[in-house]
Amino acid sequence: MNIGVYYFGAISLMLIGLYAILVKKNLLKILVGLSIMETGVNLLLISIGYIAGRSAPILSEGIGPNQAVDPIPQALVLTAIVIGVATTALALTVAINLYETYKTLNIEELRRLRG
Amino acid sequence: MSQYASLLIALPLISAFFVPIIKAIGKKVVMPFLVLITAIQMGMATWVFNEVYTTGKPIIIMAGGFRPPVGINLYIGHFAALFVLIIAVASFFMAIFSMKAITVEPKDKYAMLSLLLMLGATGMISTGDIFNLFVFMEITAISAYALTAYNKSGEASEAAMKYIVLGGIGSSFFLVGIALIYGSLGTLNMAQIAQLAGQMNPTVAQAALAMLVFGLGVEAELFPLNAWAPDAYQAAPHPVTAMFSAFVVKAGLYALARILYLTHAVGSWGHILRLLIILGTLTVVIGEFSALRQTNVKRMFAYSSISQVGFIAVGFALGTQAGVSASIFHMVNHAIVKALMFMAVGYVALELGGVTLEDFKGLGKVMPLTAFAITVGAISIIGIPLFNVFWSKIQLILAAMKAGKSGVIALILGASLVEAVYYIRLIHLMWFEEGSRERTRIKENFVFGTIMLLLVALIIIIGVAPNMTWNIVQKASADIYNVAQYIKNVPLLPGVSP
Amino acid sequence: MVMKRALAILTLLIIGYWMASALANVPFGADKMLVAQYYLNHVKAQTGAVNAVTAVVVNYRGFDTLGEVTVLFIASTGVAALLWRKKRERTAETEGSIVLTTGARLLFAFIVLFGAYIFIHGHLTPGGGFPGGATIATAFLMLYLAFSAYEIPHRSFEVTEGLAGMGYVAVGLIGLAIGSYFLFDWIWQTWGWGHSNIGRLFSAGFIPVIYTIIGIKVGTELSGIVDSMVKEGGE
Repeated sequence: MNIGVYYFGAISLMLIGLYAILVKKNLLKILVGLSIMETGVNLLLISIGYIAGRSAPILSEGIGPNQAVDPIPQALVLTAIVIGVATTALALTVAINLYETYKTLNIEELRRLRG
Repeated sequence: MSQYASLLIALPLISAFFVPIIKAIGKKVVMPFLVLITAIQMGMATWVFNEVYTTGKPIIIMAGGFRPPVGINLYIGHFAALFVLIIAVASFFMAIFSMKAITVEPKDKYAMLSLLLMLGATGMISTGDIFNLFVFMEITAISAYALTAYNKSGEASEAAMKYIVLGGIGSSFFLVGIALIYGSLGTLNMAQIAQLAGQMNPTVAQAALAMLVFGLGVEAELFPLNAWAPDAYQAAPHPVTAMFSAFVVKAGLYALARILYLTHAVGSWGHILRLLIILGTLTVVIGEFSALRQTNVKRMFAYSSISQVGFIAVGFALGTQAGVSASIFHMVNHAIVKALMFMAVGYVALELGGVTLEDFKGLGKVMPLTAFAITVGAISIIGIPLFNVFWSKIQLILAAMKAGKSGVIALILGASLVEAVYYIRLIHLMWFEEGSRERTRIKENFVFGTIMLLLVALIIIIGVAPNMTWNIVQKASADIYNVAQYIKNVPLLPGVSP
Repeated sequence: MVMKRALAILTLLIIGYWMASALANVPFGADKMLVAQYYLNHVKAQTGAVNAVTAVVVNYRGFDTLGEVTVLFIASTGVAALLWRKKRERTAETEGSIVLTTGARLLFAFIVLFGAYIFIHGHLTPGGGFPGGATIATAFLMLYLAFSAYEIPHRSFEVTEGLAGMGYVAVGLIGLAIGSYFLFDWIWQTWGWGHSNIGRLFSAGFIPVIYTIIGIKVGTELSGIVDSMVKEGGE
């Protein structure tokens, strides 16, 4: 099985993120895990669009249509990053509200306090 | 002319952006503005529905004037036309309900978020591009996160947090699925994916589809990704709960079914169907048994809603046209019934301040109209003849019989039995038991009463004369099941093919 | 606890192996383009943009970008809705150091200028409305860090945000009216402005217009999010 270093890196980042989500107790660490996972996915998308030996898809200064890499995944990642930012912002806001109510960010404590 | 159907997307969007300006003019105008916009949306959706069903041809909207697969297209076929209308009507009713039911500030933000929730679901149902589907799914999901936490109580924040974490994992999985599909086919257009699906490597296709199913499972409330749903349903503002149940989850289910049937040419399709049937069955079983134990009526309805979603998923997973038709019929019926029941239960919470079983004792004397609405909804959900859900359950059973899946029949019958237990207990409580506290009769709101009676009338009309709805539903199901026709309907640009 | 961790790691390794075995069939670095090749071949003639990514983002996949703008709008609205309290104010106690305050005063205008540069040149260089807007928001973030009493003018920021969003949809609707397609590039395709200018600033149809709108919108939105999060609410 030959997957190359970029795919390997992307999958590893996703798994590290998932591990944090599954195992960590602190809510902020879980959210960091979520962000790491999103980063892994973005890296995966970008590496799928790479074509060996070609340059960035900006068609000036002698770069022709056959010398550029795939522009679509880059556009998709731009969208995915913005969506990730939005999710993180909202998640942190909810965390602020949780902390103001229960004075803790430990998920086990939260579960206990709610009964 | 048909390109003007893009106003279905443009109108809610521009109106949501307009709300901050409206607020600067006067805060009191915001909620009536929400009602007005949803009413206009409903008018447009009716026009589109009429257009699609009289011409029999889908409306293809090409953004930017680029033909697919170069540009993104919206595909408003029979299914989308029907559900865009359902979304608009449900949003309109809930906008009216919100005028009273939303008491927490800031209401202008609530109006924006609920418009965008409607927009997201509309987009999800009408888009013809898989990445655009992801974007609209995120619009729906992120506005749903914010609306879940809107009440700012501890429960609401916790429910929203669960939703965000699960939703985040789901959207990452969904993106991996998209990446795999794009990596092997080089296109994101759904019609072209369907056209080329047979060329996909079976290992890649199986992984991609499983990823997509798990990604959509969060929105479609499939076990084990639905852990957020009961908490969110309980903690969200009442109109929002009704919208979740009436169309947000339906949009997720539609996306699931659409992607599944588009890729029916891939080698490993049978495995995915089996996966979905297992997930659906577990959703039903766990939903029903959890509903049995609830003392909070809103939470009980939430679990009941989840198990109905399981039925719909199982119907789609049968892999036959009869199964798809039955599922869509169930989606329509469930949208009507659950919009009614969540609205009624929200109204009870508004008047009595609580929705535990204790509060429901003797409701028939305190709020007879609302109690009547809940009774009709409950009887319908159990599947008693002359009410709408009976017909969709029968169709599900017939479809399962044709597909030779006797387990599914047992599942539906058994689940209906459990439903009967907890719903009849509730009905008994409302009409035949005395409340512990002395309560006088409450004068019920005329407008809300009218909406509830309208929905009750719909339930009974479909229940008595199901044929008209059934015809519409069958056309909608052909839209999903008949993939060859779908590909033919989308005017793919010649020359952009391998 | 150890059991749970071991179980998690085991599950993750299985998922990882499964993804890797699928990805092994999507060869890295190979030319897998289909629609993308069409974009590369036609991008200059159809949109006038040199940067193919920008053309994909604004022209070919304009619906996605409209959705993306919406997502950010939802986030800023949601953050403001969830952190809404009767009274909210800044609680920072100490002013920033002299280096920070002087630097902030000095650099503010230049950072905003740089952000504007990024979004105006989106069709020529890497960048565009989102990075440009984010850069502008950092200028406001710097003011928050430097001055303990600083606040953005929310009311006008909120209105600007709304107006910018409406502007984007309006550009799309003008396309619907002129070219009969929503988000149709009327400046490039109908009016034909800038066809002799490809590769210079005044080209690429409505891309600079839309990117300016997005830049303003993202800048005000992210500043608004910073503002909501920095302040603390009293009861």
